[in-house]
Amino acid sequence: MNTAILTAQSGSVPETLGIFFGYALLAVFAQNAVFTRALGVSRLVQLVGDERTNSLLFGALQIVTQLLLAPLAWYVGGVAAAAGLGPAARPLIYLGCIALVSVGELVVLYLVRLPWQRQLLRILPLAALNSCVLGTLLLGRTQSFTLTQSMGFGLGSGVGYLMAVLLVTEAQNRLRSQSIPAAFRGMPITLIYIGVLALAIYGFTGHTVIL
Amino acid sequence: MKQSKAERFLRDPGRYAHHDRIFLNNPVIMQGMGLAPLVVLATSGRSALMLAAAVALLLTPSRVISYFLSKLVPLQEHAGEEELRARLLPRGLLYSGTAAVVYMAVYPVLDRLFGVELLTLGIYLPMLVVEPLLIYRYGRVQETLRKAVSKGLRVTVGYAAVLLLVGCIREWLAGGTVFGFAVTANTVLLPLAAMPAGGFILLGVLAAMWRALAARYKAFLTNEARNQVIVNHQKEARGER
Repeated sequence: MNTAILTAQSGSVPETLGIFFGYALLAVFAQNAVFTRALGVSRLVQLVGDERTNSLLFGALQIVTQLLLAPLAWYVGGVAAAAGLGPAARPLIYLGCIALVSVGELVVLYLVRLPWQRQLLRILPLAALNSCVLGTLLLGRTQSFTLTQSMGFGLGSGVGYLMAVLLVTEAQNRLRSQSIPAAFRGMPITLIYIGVLALAIYGFTGHTVIL
Repeated sequence: MKQSKAERFLRDPGRYAHHDRIFLNNPVIMQGMGLAPLVVLATSGRSALMLAAAVALLLTPSRVISYFLSKLVPLQEHAGEEELRARLLPRGLLYSGTAAVVYMAVYPVLDRLFGVELLTLGIYLPMLVVEPLLIYRYGRVQETLRKAVSKGLRVTVGYAAVLLLVGCIREWLAGGTVFGFAVTANTVLLPLAAMPAGGFILLGVLAAMWRALAARYKAFLTNEARNQVIVNHQKEARGER
């Protein structure tokens, strides 16, 4: 990944778009929420065993939530930092942003009749209140992202999470094989599988976790 | 095993196991809660200890406060789909909001305990406020105050036990030390253990071993309880009791 693109300040439209998509790609692959930071992995493990919830729908709702949250959290986080609110207040500030966005989504879901409205309403709290969403916002703050970078990283983080959910869901048929020892079936083999996928990603991108 | 305990166990072994949040129904091993900090941060005994202290200070107090506040948005035992859809989001926000407020009070304490070292926990410390470990109750029916306290404490102990175990194993495998003390000096057994990928794999193996042991222990308890009940019935029949 071209670091010059990633570090450039927002300027012209092509440059801004370059930064946006550069950060999105960074979050999808090199800094994937699940494989490099284990963000939202508890929810992912529950999700793959949940027959009632459509993984694609969950991931899509999370992408929308993260994309809507990114500019709001960037602005509010900046105001809070300028007002002298320290790290102790950060979770509450970002939860306030999550509350605003998710309540907005709830209202829209009630007003606009979508094909999967019932399921979307049921999974909205799960998509909004998970460590992938809050973790991405906190990362943006600790790394002092610009607005464009925050939005790109938010979108990429959501897409990366969806990709991880789909990869793990896709493998479930094989992970339920009778040839796997009984004690490993379920969560243990899912974790080992995620670990192996994470190793494969390190092979392409190298590995450093920025906390 | 006492007769009453044996009978209670045989009546509903699942329920008995459900109450044990340390071994038989550990929140991490059986329910997959709190995985993110475990996988990324529990790479040494010291960081596991810091995380355990944070969870200990956060979990039970926030659960107790949430118990009182959640009465404003109660969830009935047989709630319909409509009620669930309307109440889950406010309840979720209430539980995580409470955890975030408690976090504000806990942060200075942790800062005082661990100082600059606390920064090594990075985003995983504030992220605890949305961990299912702390907020999973939002999707469940109202619990009693006594249960909120006792379950909060048991979940804390169960989570801390896994954190410390994983932290020490990973520190030993990746650095040959445990809490900084040399165990296998100059021998790095598995450097991968310090990385998140190693964390996933190690936790998966540990969970499988733990689950196998828990299943064996449950079978042992069932056998013990059955024998106890038979022996007591025989004693009663002989008029010894």
